Amino acid sequence: MINTVHLPPAFSRRAALFVTLAARLALIVIVLRQLAPAGPHVELGPPRTVITEQPAVCTHTRLTDEVDEWKIQRTLEMVRDMGAATIVEFFPWPYVEPQRGQYDWTHPDRILRHTHNQGLNVLARLGLVPGWARPPTHEKVTTLQYLTADHYDDFAAFAAAFAARYADRIDGVIVWNEPNLSLEWGDRPPDPEGYTELLRTSYRAIKSAVPTMPVYGGALAPTLEPDDSPAAMNEIRFLERMYAAGAADAFDVLAVHTYGFTHSPDHPPDPNTINFRRIELLRGVMQRYGDSDTPMTITESGWSDDPRWTRAVRPGQRIVYTLAALEMVTAWPWVDRLCLWIFRQPLDLHNRRDAYYALVSSDFVIKPVYEAVQAYARGWPNPYAPDEWATP
Amino acid sequence: MKTLRQIAGALRAFAHASRRWVRMHPWLAVIALLVLCAGLALWWLTRPGRPLGRVDGAWYRSQVNGDLYVGLDPSYPPFAEWTPDGIAGIEADIARELGRRWGVETSILIMGYDALYDALYTGQVDFLIAGLRVDPSRTEWVHYSVPYFDAGQVLVSRRAAPVQSMAELDGGSVAVELASAGDTGAQRWQRRLQALEIVHYLLPQEALDAMRAGQVDAALVDTISARQYADVHPDVVLADTTTVPDRYVIAVRKGDFRMAHEIDQALDAMHEDGTLDAILARWL
Repeated sequence: MINTVHLPPAFSRRAALFVTLAARLALIVIVLRQLAPAGPHVELGPPRTVITEQPAVCTHTRLTDEVDEWKIQRTLEMVRDMGAATIVEFFPWPYVEPQRGQYDWTHPDRILRHTHNQGLNVLARLGLVPGWARPPTHEKVTTLQYLTADHYDDFAAFAAAFAARYADRIDGVIVWNEPNLSLEWGDRPPDPEGYTELLRTSYRAIKSAVPTMPVYGGALAPTLEPDDSPAAMNEIRFLERMYAAGAADAFDVLAVHTYGFTHSPDHPPDPNTINFRRIELLRGVMQRYGDSDTPMTITESGWSDDPRWTRAVRPGQRIVYTLAALEMVTAWPWVDRLCLWIFRQPLDLHNRRDAYYALVSSDFVIKPVYEAVQAYARGWPNPYAPDEWATP
Repeated sequence: MKTLRQIAGALRAFAHASRRWVRMHPWLAVIALLVLCAGLALWWLTRPGRPLGRVDGAWYRSQVNGDLYVGLDPSYPPFAEWTPDGIAGIEADIARELGRRWGVETSILIMGYDALYDALYTGQVDFLIAGLRVDPSRTEWVHYSVPYFDAGQVLVSRRAAPVQSMAELDGGSVAVELASAGDTGAQRWQRRLQALEIVHYLLPQEALDAMRAGQVDAALVDTISARQYADVHPDVVLADTTTVPDRYVIAVRKGDFRMAHEIDQALDAMHEDGTLDAILARWL
């Protein structure tokens, strides 16, 4: 015998109406979801390792602005295949901590699971400032690089959290980028003492979270700006003032940027010239301050073959200079890596200068310089070696 | 045939019915005709540039005020460079010539390359002339003019043994600049021809010297290097067209339809009357 429950007529009608509406809504949602185009499915694939004979070969990637995961994966596959064991990648603080103390790791998680899968070492460059750590816009309009001393602890806390979360996926943390440029220091005059304080605060926080995590300081831009320039400070002077402010104990590796412009890599260092060997002047500062044991990493370098730029070289020269620079670094025991700027840009033509520094076009077409670096790193016959081209 | 006859029959029936309808409703027919004419007139009058249509504000302002603002990146001699006497070069001359033809005063605004398109988008300049190539990703809002220069890879040969095309080099040799677009282009031709020897040089100048010395039949190098070389070595000659084109164009906002049209017209006219060649010859 079936027991029936007798509900009041009004209630049962409302309940039936509700159930019907809910079912219809659910049906609509299901149908609409099926209609939406599916994104490209990315499979991680089996773990890979980098095959290289030149562990100093490194490249700076730009995955920060990359929306599609398959492009992140493709980029890193090509880096690995080139024989570069290490990448430098930028992780903006605002992406991870949009609200104070609330971390959203989606962006770095996505990139670092792919770098890990490709067997790449990662130097994580941290920078930019979230809105909550800058003055309200009605008080002061600031740029994304504007960080005041009262928020150094906040940045350090973020850096420490980053290091702790990815202790097994990254090989170092670069604190800030090119602080000797006003542009990179919140449109304020560069402040070596202020940056040293930021570096020291971050160093302590990172080391307390992961004692073995290397901290990279500096990442100074080469510049010939005069002493009184508000736009930038000569990087040699900047480094001297960092040391004078006690920076020696605040980093494990000095990150440097060095560009050749139109000069070959063996062009002798000169305080009045920007060239590849200018890095030796920075080394001299380290030695003068008794910091010779601290290694250096070239986190940005390269030559442009922009046909419309007076500071660029011809495509063949770019290859020859790049290979020669990589070879020079192997003879410098105080430099462990040379990271070529830049592997690939999300858009080729938006920023033209960078497009001609890239090793791979935005649509993943390899350039001759990629092949040359790959042959060098993998120990293959090099189609661009000097004995492959003629002299008149 | 049967189908055609059926269609013709249907048309005749429609015409007959229409005539009957007009005879029965003459005033309605007149009103319908007037509405149709008014619609066509309205459509014509509201076309861009017509009395009631969208106005090209940039062109209108330029003509009324007698001014013209041009964005240019002065980091590329001989196309544009910043000299003590002002901005000089091929692109500066073309910009000034356009202003002269339109009866307006040209003001050249110099900026870094990365700022060019932003300046165009925000209306700070009327057009850009800075060695730009057609960028398909921007054609939604940018109109690119006809080319004013082809900087592509061109064959250069000895005047005594001129070479006009890559096909003529079958069984011969060509010098190229290592890793250049000419290098890639020559490799493509190497696959098409029976035999083609490619000799690599680090610089275009070296490839041209080898060609001039008779070590190779021709050199495939960029047009700027080729023209500069031919200027001081009259015994060499350039092919009439490039093997690998690389065309420089002017960029103008698509909404400035009149400006875009006038630029194309003026460049065509400058090409026809020899002004463009004269400007190029002055600098290359």
